[in-house]
Amino acid sequence: MKTVEIAVIGGGPAGLSAAINAASLGAKVAIIERDDQLGGQLRKQTHMFFGSKEQYASTRGVDIAVMLQEELKKYQDNVDVYTDTTVLGLYEDGVLTIEQSGKYMKLKPERIIVATGASEKFLAFPNNDLPGIYGAGAVQTLMNIYGVKPGNNVLMVGAGNIGLIVSYQLMQAGVNVKAIIDAAPRIGGYLVHASKVRRMGIPILTSHTVKYAYGKDSLEKVTIWQLDEQWKPIPGTEKDFEVDVMCISVGLSPLAELLWQAGCKMVYVPELGGHVPLRDENMETSVKGIYIAGDVAGVEEASSAIVEGRLAGLCAAKSLGYANEDFEKMKQEYLQQLHSLRSGPVGEKIIKGLSKVTVQGGI
Amino acid sequence: MRIEEHPILSFKRGKKIKFYFDGKEYEGFEGDTIASALHAAGVKVLGHSHNHKRPRGFYCAIGNCSSCLMTVDGEPNVRVCIEKLREGMMVETQKGKGVLK
Amino acid sequence: MLEKTGIPTKEDIKSITPSEERRRKGPVAVIECFQKIPCNPCYTSCKFGAIKEFKDINDRPVVDFDKCTGCGVCVVNCPGLAIFIIDETYSDTEALVKIPYEFIPLPEEGSYVTALNREGKPVCRAKVVKVQNAKSQDRTPVVSLAVPKEYSMEVRFFNINDYFSDNTYICRCEELTLGELRELIRMGYRTLDEIKRISRAGMGPCQGRTCRQLIMQELAKTTGQKMEEMPMTTFRPPVKAIKLGALAGGDDNE
Repeated sequence: MKTVEIAVIGGGPAGLSAAINAASLGAKVAIIERDDQLGGQLRKQTHMFFGSKEQYASTRGVDIAVMLQEELKKYQDNVDVYTDTTVLGLYEDGVLTIEQSGKYMKLKPERIIVATGASEKFLAFPNNDLPGIYGAGAVQTLMNIYGVKPGNNVLMVGAGNIGLIVSYQLMQAGVNVKAIIDAAPRIGGYLVHASKVRRMGIPILTSHTVKYAYGKDSLEKVTIWQLDEQWKPIPGTEKDFEVDVMCISVGLSPLAELLWQAGCKMVYVPELGGHVPLRDENMETSVKGIYIAGDVAGVEEASSAIVEGRLAGLCAAKSLGYANEDFEKMKQEYLQQLHSLRSGPVGEKIIKGLSKVTVQGGI
Repeated sequence: MRIEEHPILSFKRGKKIKFYFDGKEYEGFEGDTIASALHAAGVKVLGHSHNHKRPRGFYCAIGNCSSCLMTVDGEPNVRVCIEKLREGMMVETQKGKGVLK
Repeated sequence: MLEKTGIPTKEDIKSITPSEERRRKGPVAVIECFQKIPCNPCYTSCKFGAIKEFKDINDRPVVDFDKCTGCGVCVVNCPGLAIFIIDETYSDTEALVKIPYEFIPLPEEGSYVTALNREGKPVCRAKVVKVQNAKSQDRTPVVSLAVPKEYSMEVRFFNINDYFSDNTYICRCEELTLGELRELIRMGYRTLDEIKRISRAGMGPCQGRTCRQLIMQELAKTTGQKMEEMPMTTFRPPVKAIKLGALAGGDDNE
């Protein structure tokens, strides 16, 4: 069985940042990514990032993916990159089972940083399984990775940041967005994103949900209706949209299966998207040696994922003895960055969620 | 349905690849997945559900949901949203759940 | 309401609008960022210290309009594309509005586009005065539109060829485009006759037989007048072209 000091599962913003920090301190790192390239969801983000310059604000996500890979290359002597590689299982003895291009293998790392991200939530309405109804992230992949339009006319379901951003990206790709609807009475995403698509003439209909989807082989029409203050549909408020694509963007849930398998203590925290592991301030879970970073630790923005990754990489390396006289300073710096990213009103929900799963001074 | 020009991205398409879907010849590019090449050619229905025979396309496009299973070069249950396109590939609508050979 | 529709309210806009006095002095940044979010590139990119220091990354930007030169660096650095430059000193009647525009094709300098408001509704025709797309802007081109001064705080986007499109012909004889017609209606010309007199539409060889209906439809659509109630122009002879020689020859009986 192969061994390595630190295995990082997932090559997105959190995983890349974790691998960079751990390798920069001297630890031997294996970064494992199921896609054929590192970068994760960053590779689909054509918009400029928020945050401050420490989290690459004003830089486009696609470019951040490249910058992080360049940074990782600086420590390539300490890093093995496994792309096209999927982790299938994480066992209680700390062994990872892995599939790489049809080959099955095992890996026994001394530390594991799980940065698997999240998957898209689905929505229940009649005919929701019709082709043409896609996750908003799927449409991003199709457009921004493969350069293929999902269709001609789109109804976006969900006015969170992903719904708003993907609507904008659809328009950039020359696809018509008919409307953005959201069951909530208020727009969940950043209002600057909302105003940006609104001034292009895309209506944003809050307190609206899907009533019915129609189509023979694939989507042809969607009927929506309005919700009252108790979120009950109001008959007579139906509106039809003739669309060949409907994007579902109703949130993400952490991809935490590996953490369950490892026996990490999990807590259901709606504010963080679903079940997430208990962790201490070093991002270590209740199973010693297993660290977490990014959306799997709680769904939020990529900027926080980057900082969490840096923190988890730092702490995992430290636990192996790769100490650095700046450790405490760096750790405090990352904690401070996370604190400030979350300190405003849009971070209240995250802070509330994290307060349910963060255990001070070790679990 | 290819995006030819984009304000932010430039798509560097690889060489053209011929493949077959249910016996008919199709074309994609190196770097495509089977699903992206089919979608670009206007094919949205990738199969039918086992019990209710409802049309199925992809949903997640990154290998999470397994809504896009097809038979590829005789092998059933291939997630075509993440399977890279190769020259001469025989892609078929899957009949049934697939048999272990 | 902004949180329900994405459209800032009049009060929201009022709270960030530079004073009339300041606007008379020259270009100035207008930051339409109404929510506390963790984001500070406007502050860090400003070389003139015109954006008040962020004590917290979630602070909302506050512009010191006396320090702001309207240079536009913040416009391309704002991840929310929420910053615009307005310059009311552009001409006696027009203001410049600089808008970040990440779409293709880019409009051509000198062409006309449909200026849109914050709801995406047409406001007026606007001339594209400048398109800036330097490498340092990193794929966020900035388009400068000349619009009537009263619209400087209204125009926030544009459509490259839609509502006021300039190659849709209404009157083929006198070459009046739909864009020009809409502009005339916007300026207050409300009857067929007024439009005929100002634009010559209907005075060409076809004598209004191709354009009349289209002008009436547009008047009905944009002003709400009923077509059956619209006053007609005067129909003078000759209704069809006739050679001057034939006229000069006089009636056989004369």
